[in-house]
Amino acid sequence: MQRDVASFAFAPAVKVRLISAGFLTAKDIRDLRPTELSKEAGISQQEALEVLQEVRRGPAEQGAAESRLTALELLEREQALGTVITFCSALDQALGGGVPVGKTTEICGAPGVGKTQLCIQLAVDAQIPGCFGGLGGQAVYIDTEGSFLVERAVDMATAAVQHCTLITKDTEQREALQSFTVETVLSQLFLFRCHDYVELLAQTHLLPDFLSQHPKVRLVVIDSIAFPFRHSFEDLSLRTRLLNGLAQQLIQIASQHSVAVVLTNQMTTRIGQNQSMLVPALGESWGHAATQRLILHWEGKHRFASLYKSPSQREATVSYQITPHGFRDVQLPDPSVIPADPSLTPGLNSRKRPRVEEGDPSDV
Amino acid sequence: MSWTGRANRRFQASYSVSAVNPIRIHRDKELFAMVILREGECPGLTAEVIQALRSQNVRTVVDLVSSDTEELARKCALSYKTLVAVKRVLLAQYTAFPTNGADLYEELLSSTAILSTGNPSLDKLLDSGLYTGEVTELIGAPGSGKTQVCLGVAVSVACDLKRNVLYIDSTGGLSASRLLQMVQSKACKMEEHMEALRRIQVRQVFSVFSLIEALQDLRSSGFHQVAGGSGSVKVVIVDSVAAVLSPIMGGRQTEGLSLMMQLAGELRTMARDLGVAVLVTNHMTRDGNGAVKAGLGRSWSHVPRTRVLLQRVEREGAKPSGLRTATLVKSSRQVLVKKTCSQNVCH
Repeated sequence: MQRDVASFAFAPAVKVRLISAGFLTAKDIRDLRPTELSKEAGISQQEALEVLQEVRRGPAEQGAAESRLTALELLEREQALGTVITFCSALDQALGGGVPVGKTTEICGAPGVGKTQLCIQLAVDAQIPGCFGGLGGQAVYIDTEGSFLVERAVDMATAAVQHCTLITKDTEQREALQSFTVETVLSQLFLFRCHDYVELLAQTHLLPDFLSQHPKVRLVVIDSIAFPFRHSFEDLSLRTRLLNGLAQQLIQIASQHSVAVVLTNQMTTRIGQNQSMLVPALGESWGHAATQRLILHWEGKHRFASLYKSPSQREATVSYQITPHGFRDVQLPDPSVIPADPSLTPGLNSRKRPRVEEGDPSDV
Repeated sequence: MSWTGRANRRFQASYSVSAVNPIRIHRDKELFAMVILREGECPGLTAEVIQALRSQNVRTVVDLVSSDTEELARKCALSYKTLVAVKRVLLAQYTAFPTNGADLYEELLSSTAILSTGNPSLDKLLDSGLYTGEVTELIGAPGSGKTQVCLGVAVSVACDLKRNVLYIDSTGGLSASRLLQMVQSKACKMEEHMEALRRIQVRQVFSVFSLIEALQDLRSSGFHQVAGGSGSVKVVIVDSVAAVLSPIMGGRQTEGLSLMMQLAGELRTMARDLGVAVLVTNHMTRDGNGAVKAGLGRSWSHVPRTRVLLQRVEREGAKPSGLRTATLVKSSRQVLVKKTCSQNVCH
């Protein structure tokens, strides 16, 4: 309707010429012919044609129909999207079933705590067939640090295939298992190697086209997003702008192509009044970028994962471990180890049965 | 004047027109009379007249109205009478009508509504709730609960007040399952859940241009709706404004500030014309002394009428709790004497 020329997405030079020629609202431009407009405003014919096309585009053609939903429709869409499981059932429960498709998840942690392991595990888990509870999709892995090891991916894929073979019950699952082998897992994992931030930005620009050509991709992992932006970057405000732009592009990709986007971040030290603490790197404004944030940390010899920020899940901390098979739950102690004599443990009520913990947590 | 601080040409145009006319309360967008003179716009403005004026470099209404009529008539070889008649018609067409303060007050009393946010202590902080016709802002660090408060407001308006809500999401933080969870805690029956969820309209935008388009769509469809009926939108929530604006601001990009003020203008006009309450979320930064302030700079800080800061409750050595505090940081109605309230995030 009465939309201002300044709010359209034209090139700045064209906008300045249009406004100085006196065209302030869309209404002024809409009824002109390209030749008239180019003469009045002093822009080229081609530019005038583009301007008119943009201004005359009605709201129905702008794809508004697909982006305007009620919450009920959004709920149905969300439930159909599913999650990527992590093979650690405690973490899956904390995340509400796994890493959500259609949103960005950020994994922060100190070196050696298991971020890359979790990413490789997710890349394998995204390919688990639907009848086993997975998504049956392909995965894209963008590696900026060079920490992706194919041998590790082979180990995890072998373990996942073995696990699925053990729990196969009916013919549908047996058929699906034919197409779920270590070779197919590796062949459906697309690996990109970016050496600096320019390559990473370029890759993100090209990602929508790649995803349109490969519609089965369900997971995009960027490991890590902090590394190219942390070293040799002089202008910090430029870094903040680039990161914010990148975050918007990634959430757009996640939403429009129905993929789960996983980012890995490093930790840095923040010095407070009289203490120092580890906080996620890349600044405070980056904290707003991801939809969900998972912080992995050490406590003594054990590894813990805390869900720090999530729009739909409660904050929780769970423990996990890295085994030769991959990312798994911590095995809880054997029930027979619980002392039979209640007087040794003052907290136990002798009239109540002792608690028996669940044995196998990693059910798919 | 209600449009202070806008950094584009419109401000200059309004000043040059009011140099000719006495000061009025500007209520119309038609004030921006830097429009090109076109034939047929008023009787007497024919193609030859326009050509003649162009040769003297008089292209827009402002140029014509602010020039000397006698001299112009002489230079363009036009009749003085026609020029005066044209000028009078154009002035009548483009001036705003004054209104007096008492009428304005009456109108405000009858058209403003106060919407509860669903959280009684937050309502008390905001002087009984969100006011329609105004922009309210929530700021906070990541994970401080801004999206949760927005979801709570949407659910409260859809369930309790039974009005429509437009939720514009630019960060992916909107989770329909969380909305369902909140709705289920309020209403008991399945049909009521579905009804409430149907009243919340969702738009996902990822750039400032699509955000402005979404707001324009609402305005154009808002005029077609029955005013005050149960189908009209009462709250517009934008989560978050900083996510779409921060990539384009700063550095050598000159457009960022202009687009930000365009957006600000859209939000405020929409709030006032459609009678909706606008709730936006923003990032938080620290200034030189370490004090907390809203993101997006000083120009944006004048846009919202009320600003609330959300913070986590940090206790030494304790586990992170679900408790958050809300502090009133800017208000045009209330005195800011350490007004805080605590809220638990799982309501």
